[in-house]
Amino acid sequence: MENTSQVPVTVLTGFLGAGKTTLLNRILTEQHGRKYAVIVNEFGEQGIDNDLVVDADEEVFEMNNGCICCTVRGDLIRILSGLMKRADKLDAIIVETTGLADPAPVAQTFFVDQDVADRTKLDAIVTVADAVHLSSQLVDHHEAEEQIAFADVILLNKVELVEDNDIVKVNDRIRKINPFAKIIKTTRCDAPLDEIVGLNAFSLDRVLDIEPDFLESDHDHEHDDDVTSLSFVSDSPLDMDKFQDWFGNLLRTKGQDILRSKGILNFKGEEERYVFQGVHMLMDASPMGPWPKGKNRSSRVVFIGRDLDNMNLKEGFENCKSA
Amino acid sequence: MNADLEKLQETNKTELERRGSIFNIGAPATEAVTTRDQIAVGFGDGTVRFFQSGSDPKTVKAHKGVVLSMTNYEDHVLTGGDDGRFLKISSDGNIEEIFNFGSKWVDCVASHKDTKVCSSGKTVYIWTKNKDKPQTLEHQSTVAGLAFDNKGKRLAVSRYGGVTVWKLNNNKWTASNYTWKGSHGTVTFSPDTKYIVTAMQENQIHGWRINDKADLAMRGYPSKIKSFTWVGDTPYLVTSGSSDAVCWPFDGKEGPMGRKPIVVANGGKELATFVKALNGEKAVFTGFTDGSVLLAEIDESKKPIMIRSSTGAEVSTIAISSDNSQILIGDMKGSILLSSLWADN
Repeated sequence: MENTSQVPVTVLTGFLGAGKTTLLNRILTEQHGRKYAVIVNEFGEQGIDNDLVVDADEEVFEMNNGCICCTVRGDLIRILSGLMKRADKLDAIIVETTGLADPAPVAQTFFVDQDVADRTKLDAIVTVADAVHLSSQLVDHHEAEEQIAFADVILLNKVELVEDNDIVKVNDRIRKINPFAKIIKTTRCDAPLDEIVGLNAFSLDRVLDIEPDFLESDHDHEHDDDVTSLSFVSDSPLDMDKFQDWFGNLLRTKGQDILRSKGILNFKGEEERYVFQGVHMLMDASPMGPWPKGKNRSSRVVFIGRDLDNMNLKEGFENCKSA
Repeated sequence: MNADLEKLQETNKTELERRGSIFNIGAPATEAVTTRDQIAVGFGDGTVRFFQSGSDPKTVKAHKGVVLSMTNYEDHVLTGGDDGRFLKISSDGNIEEIFNFGSKWVDCVASHKDTKVCSSGKTVYIWTKNKDKPQTLEHQSTVAGLAFDNKGKRLAVSRYGGVTVWKLNNNKWTASNYTWKGSHGTVTFSPDTKYIVTAMQENQIHGWRINDKADLAMRGYPSKIKSFTWVGDTPYLVTSGSSDAVCWPFDGKEGPMGRKPIVVANGGKELATFVKALNGEKAVFTGFTDGSVLLAEIDESKKPIMIRSSTGAEVSTIAISSDNSQILIGDMKGSILLSSLWADN
């Protein structure tokens, strides 16, 4: 639900040295007259140019709700609730995570905690990637893959230090992991700020922006541990009950391996489009207005995760088609 | 019961609003505590204001950001802020900085007689009389609640995964752990000190019997429990978090184990956000998400009385003066009602 009093929160991820602090300082200094709170990690890079900088501990807590992958950032809940008691209204909050952080608990905090969800909203996860080192980081650290997988926007930074054909290679590698993130190639994080903050990327209506071009079901076989993406399109309407059974069961049993999911659905007998987006086992879904006139009513779903090949996704999705 | 609040709201102003004073501070009221003859309130603009019947509040500019925590200490109050300062403040505006933690928040404070306690991050700091340097108690995760027992011999510290109860013996603190999965916030000892109870990150409260660590899981709430208070001789632990004030009986050997709570003060569609006992009575004030406050006896057959009508902002604090004559109600928009509880006052 849209609530104008909710303060937007941008989550900034990326490995040490990729340029997170450079981007952060750009946001803080170039957006004159706006009041930001910046939540940083005590091991983070120093030199942040802002009045309101809060030290966080990155305490990841398991929720006591029987859902094993449902972890949240306990410190974030505490800090956000403290910030919401301030007399002066904040325009936005930026959460900077450490280089090796898994973005899932941060994202899940906004799904799980009611107080946080009432007063703030996750705007976007922005990942700063080092064009020089990303390829090797993706091999060595699963956190690097997760940061790419969770991102709504990826700044492929330091492109001036890389040959053109290597940029194409790293760009393709990112696309294979995450087909819907916006990739911006930058030098010293010089991307337009309005493509980084104030995006409302977690708003359900943004799911409708999934560009069909990125959606390819074919992919090379990857190592089982690699994060990949799969997507499916169907032009025949789906059966709502069948879909709910399949998708609910899928998230319950495989949610740990499904990092993010998004989709637009055409249900038989329903005038409106349905959209959903999920982080691991948690998801948000709702009807989102009628289909645009003259356009194909095709359902599209995207999954980003590990071991997707063993989830019978294609078969499961096909079985949801209305008889 | 459901229509109680709606019906009561029809009579625009309550008796207490008519005879009381309303102050619009413009910043959320975060905490209120009672000193000897005043009620001190901490706000989201960093001020602490001392309220007394018949005069304007005295304002002390205490913290740069939010007053996160507050407790009374002799004739003063102790406050913790998001500016990293742990302060001792008197109503004449005198501020003594006990410690400055820099960029770390001072999340919780507590006191017992001349002992001053605060937490910042995972550490609890204890200042005892005539000692400049604090004793420190370390924990595995950030401290989210502090409570002394009534003798000041035990200090309960809530955190992720349970509560550490520290016991003071010969000037040394020894730890005993009470474990329950999940994140634990505000903590309280029962008045007879046989139980400890925490408000959890999930929509439930959790208790332990101190001597055998038996668990008491109190569930079924539609929202997080932000406030609880001990009421009457039974006593009842009355909690917020539901459309009623939920009252768990802590009498007998087993306390609330296997028993159902009593529910009073139905708020209809509104959820209770703050509860406060009326000293010496088996009655509780319950504040709701819309700013209204009901006074109810712990008796499901009795009707509650509307104390404050809706303000549109959730009740964040209620305090009663030490002589039981005045009530102060504060909300998240910074509206304060100070009124006499009794008509002949």
